[in-house]
Parts: sequence; C-alpha cells; structure tokens
Amino acid sequence: MSTANNASDPRRPNKITRYKATASSGSQEDPTPDYMNLLGMIFSMCGLMMKLKWCAWCAVYCSFISFSNSRASEDTKQILSSFMLSISAVVMSYLQNPQPMSPPW
Amino acid sequence: MRLSICLLVLLLLCVELSHQKNPHDADIDDNDFAEFEDIEDEEEPSVLEEDRGASEQENAGEKKSSPQAAVDDKDEDEDDEATVETEDDEFEHFTDEEEFEGFDREKTAGKGKSQDLPDLKIAKVPLHLRTNWDSFYLEMLMLSGLGVYFLNFIAGKSKNNKFAQAWLNAHKDILLQNFSVVGDDGVSKETTTEGQIGTLMKESENVYALWCSGRIYVEGMLVELKFLKRQDLISTMAHLFKPLSDQVMVTVHLDTGVMDKYVFAVAQKKTAAKIHKEINDLAQFTEKKSSEKFNIPSCFQILSEIGEATGHVLDAKMCQVLTKYSESVEYIHISDQYSGLKAQDESQQQKMPETKPVLIFCFNVPGKGKSTVADIEKMRELLQLVMYCIDKASRIRLGRESLAKAEKNRQKAEEFFMKSAHAQRQEAAQQRREEKRRQEKERIMTEEDPDKTRKWEERESRRDMKRKQPKMKMMKVKAM
Repeated sequence: MSTANNASDPRRPNKITRYKATASSGSQEDPTPDYMNLLGMIFSMCGLMMKLKWCAWCAVYCSFISFSNSRASEDTKQILSSFMLSISAVVMSYLQNPQPMSPPW
Repeated sequence: MRLSICLLVLLLLCVELSHQKNPHDADIDDNDFAEFEDIEDEEEPSVLEEDRGASEQENAGEKKSSPQAAVDDKDEDEDDEATVETEDDEFEHFTDEEEFEGFDREKTAGKGKSQDLPDLKIAKVPLHLRTNWDSFYLEMLMLSGLGVYFLNFIAGKSKNNKFAQAWLNAHKDILLQNFSVVGDDGVSKETTTEGQIGTLMKESENVYALWCSGRIYVEGMLVELKFLKRQDLISTMAHLFKPLSDQVMVTVHLDTGVMDKYVFAVAQKKTAAKIHKEINDLAQFTEKKSSEKFNIPSCFQILSEIGEATGHVLDAKMCQVLTKYSESVEYIHISDQYSGLKAQDESQQQKMPETKPVLIFCFNVPGKGKSTVADIEKMRELLQLVMYCIDKASRIRLGRESLAKAEKNRQKAEEFFMKSAHAQRQEAAQQRREEKRRQEKERIMTEEDPDKTRKWEERESRRDMKRKQPKMKMMKVKAM
C-alpha cells in the first residue's frame, strides 16, 4: 500500500477488527419473545389441566408471537417445545371433549 | 203389557250392550289377564242378574204360561250371554272421554311410539355427534386467525428483508469507499476481500446488522437496521394506532485516543429527555443546553458537557444537514465515556463500567412506518454525515481550559463512583454479618439443651453491652 494513497483513502486493511456479537449489540434486547414464551406455557398448562379450550388456543397464539419475535441467535429448541406444548394442549382438549369450544364469557 | 214393555227395555239394553261390548277389544285381546279379572269380578253380579231374571221368569210363569215362554227362554239365554257383558257397564266410565281425558288417545299414541322406536333412539344420540361443522365457528375463527397471522408473518418478513437489501444496495458504494471489510459476521474464517459486500446479519426478523471495519480512526462500525415488527400482526396493528418509524442505528467504535475528552449529544426533544435519563455518560456528564445559539431547528435539544466542543461539533455543515433532515435525525451522540445504558439495579455496580469512545447515530427512515424503498435510498447523505463526523471528531482539539474541565469531571465521576461502591460494599458486609448472626441465633434456639441457650444469650448480651459502651464514653467526652 502506498502512503500517497492513504492520504485520500480512509481504508486501512491492516487494522481490521472482527465483529464481536456480545460487545457491540445487546443494549436494548426485546423482551417480547420471552414474555410470550412464558405466557404460552401458562396457557398451555391451563388448557391441559383445566381443559379450557380457549386457553389452549391462546397458547398456540402466544407461541406464534414468540416465534415471530424471536432473535436469530435464540435456541430453536425452546420455540419448538413451546409449539409442541401448545398444540398438544389443543389436541388433548379436543380428544377429551370433542364438543365445540364455548367462549370464556 | 207392562211386562212386555219391561222385556222390550231389557232387550234394547242387551242390544245396546252387545254394541258396546268391548269397545276397546284390541286391548283386552292383548291382555289376557284383564279378561280373567273381568270374569272373576263379574261372577257375583251375574248371579244377581240371573236371580232377577229367574224371578221375572217365575212371575211370568205364574201369570201366563204362554208360547212366549220359549221366546223368553231364548231371551234369557241371550240375557245370560249379555249379562256377562253387562258387567262391563261398571267399567264403562273408563272409556268415557269426559272421565279420563285423552286416556284412549294416549294408549294409541303409545302404540304408535312403540312402532317408531328407531326415532326415539335418534333423539337420545349424544349432542356432539349430531353437531355439524357450523357449531365449530370459534375454532374456524381461531384457525383463520392463525392463518392470517402466518400470512402476515411471511409478508412482513419479506418486506423487512427487501428494505434491508435496499439500504445495503443504496449505501454500498459509500461503505466500500470507507471500509476495508464490509459485512463481517465474526464467524467465517476469512473476512471478505476489498470491494465485496459480506453478510448482512439477521438478528431477528426485523433487526439486521452490518459490521464494517478497517478504516482510519475507527475500530469498527456497526449498522443496525431496526425495522418495525412487520412480521408480527399484533405489532402491525399497534403501529396503526401509534405510528413509529423504521430506524437505522450506526455505532462507530473509535480508536482510543482519537478524540478529545467530551460528551455531546443532539437529539429530538422527546428523545433527549429519555436518553439523558437512560444513557450512563449523558446522565453523568452532560447538561441541557439551549439550541438557540446554533443554527439548528428548534425541535432539537443539545446535551453537552463542554461548550467549546459543542461549537466545534455543530459547524456549518452539520447544521445544514440537521436542518435538512430534521425529521430523520433522532439523535447523535458523541462521547469518549460511553458505557451503555444505566444499570437498572445499582447494587450490581461493583467496578467502574468500562468506557470507550463512540459515535452513535440514530436515524429515522422517512415515511413514519409507511416507508418505501425510495425513502431508504434518500438516506445516503446521512451515512456521509457519519463519515464526516468520524473525521471531524478526530480533528477536534479542545483548549487547555476545556480539557482541564473535562478531566476534572471525569475524576469527580470516578470518585463519586468509588464512594458509592464503597458504601455499597460496606452495606453488603453489614448485611452478611446480620445474616450470620441471625442464623446462629436460630441454631441455638433450636438446640435442646437449655444451658447452651442461656450461655449463648449471656454472651450475646455482653457483646451488645460492649458495643454500646464505647459510644457512651465518646458522648461523655464530647459533653466534657
């Protein structure tokens, strides 16, 4: 690299720093996926234990919202398990009682 | 004559009875026992009837032994036959409609039902087996909701991706002119060669990041494209009521020693209040300054530590850009003491937070959430402003007075931190001691031996006395 070039060119190939995920980002993490995951779990449990169909459905919605808001770095297992739990809540509640859902009100 | 009338009446009665005989014969035919009952019950009355008939006959026989007697005999026979039936008279009221309303009808209806037994079974079929798909309208609603959410997810995701690519394409040349490496993900073994764009990292469906490095004065530059959560239907609906903008956040990590010691920020008024509270260095070092002296729009608020630096940063070019993009610039933060957001839990601060010199730019994409690709392409000048500021920050040199002031501020901040940290440490130690004592007390109290407990209590009281005594003495000394 010629020094003459350096005067006008701001690029410096000799001082490259690699990207460090933890150092640079993570100042304002979005808490939505975590909350939705938790809420989905609570709803799934309510749906399974108390046979509340609308709870099971809410759990499915929560896991969908959690999925769409999730960070790319996040563990996919967690999202998958939340999906499985909520869907199994729906399936179980309809297997036990195939009547149509009555609204909670 | 009388007799004949009497006989006639009797005859009529018989005829009438023979007509009435067993009006609901079907029933009796079916019910064998009923017939027996009839016979048993009616035996006695039949005897009476016969007696009566006999007496009549005797009377007749006495009065006239006429050829009519044969006829009478016949009649009698008929009577006998009829008499059995006459007893039905007593039960005639059963067939009387006025006496038992709908009695007969019920019977016939009952018969009809027994014939239509399959119908009856249908009525007993459980409710859920009979329900058709219409009754599952809530489930349909839920499923369609999920379908809509999923479609919106795909649409929003692709739209955000399109915007990210559009931003990258629009700013490609500026980035390549300024950085040796554009788009390093920190994972791949080799960085991209000059003149090539690396990966645009996807942090989530709505946040993209681009790391650029290899430039004079800077360690690296992180561009974060924070789009609206278009992939989330609920957020999309929330944005309808409360419009927000897509944001481009550029964080430049400067080399240490490149910039002088000052903290400065210019921000939209609303944001200024927020960041002044939340960002550590702004809260520690800066004060609100009026923007009237400078040629910038009134929607901006200046947060500055050192007046001289403010003047240097807000030069003519900067003011021009700020005026032109007054809507798009959310805030610009230049600091040598950046340590991130203020810690929520103050007790966690055991050591001085690490500081580094940074330039942070936050730009709004024009369009208030209804941005188009064209809007993103209009932001080129803002990235040029970033490059200009990097060079500018490295050039600004403060006077001796300002430098001394800045130095003093930093020392003061450090002292303040040390003091608070020391106080916190002491407090923590005190708490630990208390906890230990409490645990010991509990242990002793649960001890079965009363002697031990008593001894421990005595020891504790002595210790307490000791602790109090010196203080008393000191007070006495003071009093003297």
